[in-house]
Amino acid sequence: MGIEKLRIKLGHIELKTPIIMASGTFGYGLEKINFIDYKKIGAITTKTITYYPWEGNPQPRIYETYSGMINSIGLQNPGVFYFIKNILPKIRKKFNKIFVSISGRTENEFIQLIKIMNKEKIDALELNLSCPNFEKEQKMISQSSDLTYKIVKKIKNETSIPLIAKLSPNVTNIKEIAIAAEEAGIDMISVINTVKGLCVDLKKMKIIDGGLSGGCIKPIGLKCVYDIYKVVKIPIIGIGGIIKGTDAIEYFLVGASAIGIGSGLFTNSQIIDEVIKSLINFLNKTKSKNLKEITGLLNEKKGKNR
Amino acid sequence: MNSEICKILKNKNLSDDFYLLKIENNFKEVFLPGNFIHIKIEGVFLRRPFSVAIYTKKFIGIIYKKIGLGTEILSKKRKGESLNILGPCGNSFPIFENKKVALISGGTGIAPLIFLSSELKKRKNKIYFFYGARNKKLIFSEILPSGIDYIFSTDDGSFGQKGNIFDIFKTYKDDYEIIYAAGPEQLLKKVSLYSSKKPVYISLENYMACGMGLCYGCVVKIKEEGDGKYKRVCKDGPIFEGEKIIWE
Repeated sequence: MGIEKLRIKLGHIELKTPIIMASGTFGYGLEKINFIDYKKIGAITTKTITYYPWEGNPQPRIYETYSGMINSIGLQNPGVFYFIKNILPKIRKKFNKIFVSISGRTENEFIQLIKIMNKEKIDALELNLSCPNFEKEQKMISQSSDLTYKIVKKIKNETSIPLIAKLSPNVTNIKEIAIAAEEAGIDMISVINTVKGLCVDLKKMKIIDGGLSGGCIKPIGLKCVYDIYKVVKIPIIGIGGIIKGTDAIEYFLVGASAIGIGSGLFTNSQIIDEVIKSLINFLNKTKSKNLKEITGLLNEKKGKNR
Repeated sequence: MNSEICKILKNKNLSDDFYLLKIENNFKEVFLPGNFIHIKIEGVFLRRPFSVAIYTKKFIGIIYKKIGLGTEILSKKRKGESLNILGPCGNSFPIFENKKVALISGGTGIAPLIFLSSELKKRKNKIYFFYGARNKKLIFSEILPSGIDYIFSTDDGSFGQKGNIFDIFKTYKDDYEIIYAAGPEQLLKKVSLYSSKKPVYISLENYMACGMGLCYGCVVKIKEEGDGKYKRVCKDGPIFEGEKIIWE
């Protein structure tokens, strides 16, 4: 049995494999990387696009830590108009399914972005609700269930493109946020974005205050998927610390319907092939027909509400 | 860019904390001077980038300095062990023919300039290679290509002229048509600001995560319309025109 077993459906979106390249860790997917078999990628999530171009943060932007890294890139991107004219057509040629990540500093910016993206042929919009850039107070939308509900609801009213909410693990109760997003009409949830963290560079006497990713955050991602699965019915894209093939299986077992690969690719160039192999082996070993059968298998809510 | 498993052919301590690592060249793609390889070292999360110093069909050589956990682990690897390596990464130095060129190197900056000098030599350039180091032990004569005019300097005067290599460079008659430089940021900055009348190409170093142009972690600010623009050292570089860098 082969890769065809790994076909999945996220709502109405059919993916050839459950591997989604996570936002911000795969650029726009246009670099020429010969060791990646692009046919094995179910969908690409672009680096987050904003209305105006964003310059991004000054150095230092990255720092390594035990089994992971901190980043503080600051959503560097060329803005939506440049993206649509010069980048999106190239992504279309290379990828079967395209998820565009967007972020706004205000509700209005989100709405304007949606109106522009409505004219484009894309498969889903991922709302980056987990960057600390909202309004004057630099809020993170997904740290408030009220704000999450409000923004998702407004956006949902403006578009028929499937919507994904990318949530932050830095909350008291992730279930509340996921429920708010679902009630507001979100189609999918992707968790987790990076975990807040800080590194100290003793040589340069500088700090790097940003988001932690890498193998070290896998337990946090698994816990979020596990908790969210219990309270929502929509599909969950599990992201965080997938650095070897079997990590992906764990995400499915606790409730993910698809998985995202981020900085795992930086440390393991074979990660895509390994995930495919591990999932096929696991399905065969457990005599499962497809990934849906193993989604939530180790979650106490498997079967209930679904 | 490819990902290959390459056997270590040699991992030799040159002196102090400096090492020469030679690995099998299992890459189908051709490497150009200025390109780097991105090495996976088990025990640390991120790969480590190193400029290619020696390049043949059979092997690739880099020079590295033990500065942290990654290079510490690398220094203990032995002949016959294998490494997972990405390459060729980044852009390369522009190469001309029949020119009078100056190469200026400090510290491990020597690595990309060795590869560059051997290519420049093939194209009949007249090369003046300024090579500075802290002391005699850190002048790695054994790996320098022959048939090139070297001007050495050391901080303590134990080999070549005494002083900083850039100060020594300035005492020479400047009729070079192109200048290439690699090494510490202060050196690159001085060389870049030195002359706007002739092209200066520098090899930048920076903390890197992906090495593939994906994460935008290793950026440097480049002069462009407005306030400038952050470009990726790993993909748009590591070779830049010196005058275009906005030094922070």
